[in-house]
Amino acid sequence: MEAAARAPPAPQGQHPPQLAEAVAPPKVERLNQVVQQQLNLESVKTRALGLYKAISRILEDFDAFARANTTPKWQDALGQFSMVSMELFNIVEDIKNVSKAFVVHPRNVNAENATILPVMLSSKLLPEMEAEDNTKREQLLYGISGLPVHMQIEKLKARIDMIGAACEAAEKVISDCRKAYGLGSRQGSTLVPTLDKVQAAKIQEQENLLRAAVNFGEGLRIPVDQRQLPASLPSHLVDVLTVGDGAQTFGDSSGSYTKNTPPFSSNNVNTQGILQTPGGQLIARSVPSPSSAASFDNASTPPMPYVNSPRSSTNITNTPSPQQQVQQQQQQQQQQRQKVMQLPQHQQQLLVQQQLRQSSSTGVLGQGTISQLHDLPGQTQQKFQQIPGQHQMSYSQPMLQQQFQNRQLQASHMQHNMTQNQINQVNLRSHLNQYSGANSALYNAAQTSPNSQMITNMSASMQSQSLLPRMQFGLTGGHPQRNHPSQILNDQMFGMGASNPASMVAIQQQQQGGFGNIPSNTQNLQPGMVNLPSTTQNPSFPQQRQQNQQ
Amino acid sequence: MECVVQGIIETQHVEALEILLQGLCGVPKERIRVHELCLKSGPSLAVPSEIRLLCDLAQPTPSWTVRHVGGAMRGAGAEQISVLVRTMVESKVSNNALRFFYSLGYKLDHELLKIGFAFRFQRGAPITVTVTSANKMPKLHATDEAVPVTPGIQMVEITAPTAGDNYNEVGAAVSSFCEYLAPLLHLSKPGVSTGIVPTAAAAAASLLSNTGDDPSL
Repeated sequence: MEAAARAPPAPQGQHPPQLAEAVAPPKVERLNQVVQQQLNLESVKTRALGLYKAISRILEDFDAFARANTTPKWQDALGQFSMVSMELFNIVEDIKNVSKAFVVHPRNVNAENATILPVMLSSKLLPEMEAEDNTKREQLLYGISGLPVHMQIEKLKARIDMIGAACEAAEKVISDCRKAYGLGSRQGSTLVPTLDKVQAAKIQEQENLLRAAVNFGEGLRIPVDQRQLPASLPSHLVDVLTVGDGAQTFGDSSGSYTKNTPPFSSNNVNTQGILQTPGGQLIARSVPSPSSAASFDNASTPPMPYVNSPRSSTNITNTPSPQQQVQQQQQQQQQQRQKVMQLPQHQQQLLVQQQLRQSSSTGVLGQGTISQLHDLPGQTQQKFQQIPGQHQMSYSQPMLQQQFQNRQLQASHMQHNMTQNQINQVNLRSHLNQYSGANSALYNAAQTSPNSQMITNMSASMQSQSLLPRMQFGLTGGHPQRNHPSQILNDQMFGMGASNPASMVAIQQQQQGGFGNIPSNTQNLQPGMVNLPSTTQNPSFPQQRQQNQQ
Repeated sequence: MECVVQGIIETQHVEALEILLQGLCGVPKERIRVHELCLKSGPSLAVPSEIRLLCDLAQPTPSWTVRHVGGAMRGAGAEQISVLVRTMVESKVSNNALRFFYSLGYKLDHELLKIGFAFRFQRGAPITVTVTSANKMPKLHATDEAVPVTPGIQMVEITAPTAGDNYNEVGAAVSSFCEYLAPLLHLSKPGVSTGIVPTAAAAAASLLSNTGDDPSL
């Protein structure tokens, strides 16, 4: 005989485990664990309890409706009913299984079960069940308990008949309405449908696809060559992505910086000669003739002539003499330059980036005409901090440090910053031109944009491989005197001279490639503007730049 | 941290599931339309990491959320529990987040558009049930042209936030709720395949039969 209890036929599943314990008081019997798991008694119990709660909740709702005398929402109510009925149906199914397991099946009476058997087989109800039964009986026989038995029986029969008739009538009405309104008949799942293997396999395959897609992104990756931003972005991405960024942000596994940047050939562009032509025009797209390239080396022509240039005179700012600052900076820069040159490539870029970040952004140029890179000057401007007093120029560009320092010291941040930035860019470019195109893009960006724009450019160029040099020409409205394209190109050219004349050509080529949208490629070379070949020349350069800007 | 289970359901039964969930949860459903961008860190970062940016397009103003899902709990305890417990960090962000992560070196790995509905309610733990169809975009960011990855099947995900000390209770709450959905679908840890439930059709029919639309009215 199985050590199990007889399950009551009640639809509530919580009795079987309780009965087992109640019937065998001397020893606490627990159902076999396996049996429990197989029949999932816990779940049945939980579900039964849940169902009970759901039903009671529905009843409460209806109670409230009745009291408030409002019409319940039949749709919802029916939905809940259907859910409850479905749950009930399933529980009953499970209970049938449970019941099967718990039928008492005595095969042999022996000493072990002699005492238990009569208890198990008795039909006497549990005390609480018995009490329940009694109360229900009293309710039922409320009105007729005083009558003789046969009359009670008759009255009860009459009641049953009435109820039966009412049920049938209701059923008839419902089915008539169903037919009238075209509703299907209620379906009971008498058969458990099975899937045939083919269908199951298909569904399995689909499921794997879906799970892989949602969890790991399988099947959703667009090949890199197809990853171009569409012409019209969805509205939530329009502000987030601009056309310029798109090309940069998608990386393949290689993640190479130089993927899309044009090769940065080190060309010696001697812009000195061009720059030195008063009023000469340097067209960005044209490759300057590499004549007398030596001027870009450190010991090149001093920028002194610029001080007296007609343009410079109009651009004099209230800055203190930069020469003093420059001398200090030059020493530091030279030391740093050597240090930096030994750094690996990307670290140098990072350094540049850091430096640029540290520059204040009060005078950010707002207008960029860069073809691909498209930063948001407005957004980036606020992000940058003022240059700390002890700005550490990790990059060895000669001008950077002094420019930054100048920036701090001088009141006219705007113009000065622009000057500094340009010089910085020039210096950066000159030093790093031997690296790949990404770097050049970075430097171009650095050179053309002061502060915040430089930073955004730098960051963009750092992370993207398809940087085209950014030229940021825009001065905000307050500097009308500045001829942006020419100034910037001039700056770049000046910067080239710092250390590597070869870089100029490369930069210019890149400029040509990337600056397709530069409105005017012609440059109005400032009279007397020369390269910034060495630190010695730097002193006057900021001065000149400022002057030019004004 | 969160407890999570996933399951699949055929698209034809989604309506029935919605009715069932409506009855079980007692809260109104929320529409879901989320553009999920999965970014993976570039080579510049030493540790590879993956974050997901979710843009909620259901509201008039899109709102962005960043979400980082970590590794799942492992060990004997994890195997006994029927839900997956994993670290998860989520935060609201501004729409600059995408640009910010790009500048950090993250690259877009894939993107996904999830359309569906969700129910958030309390049953032993704050539980969220989402039923969504995963849509892929043939062209980059083309959310209007999204097509379902698997048209016939949708994903059901049940998640509940948890701490490190109460994941057992939360997991039990989630599992017990899953029992209620047993007639329609089977839920399991993500990565464990479940298949569909044979009783789904019948259960769906019974759920829909009383609330079917009345064509003659």
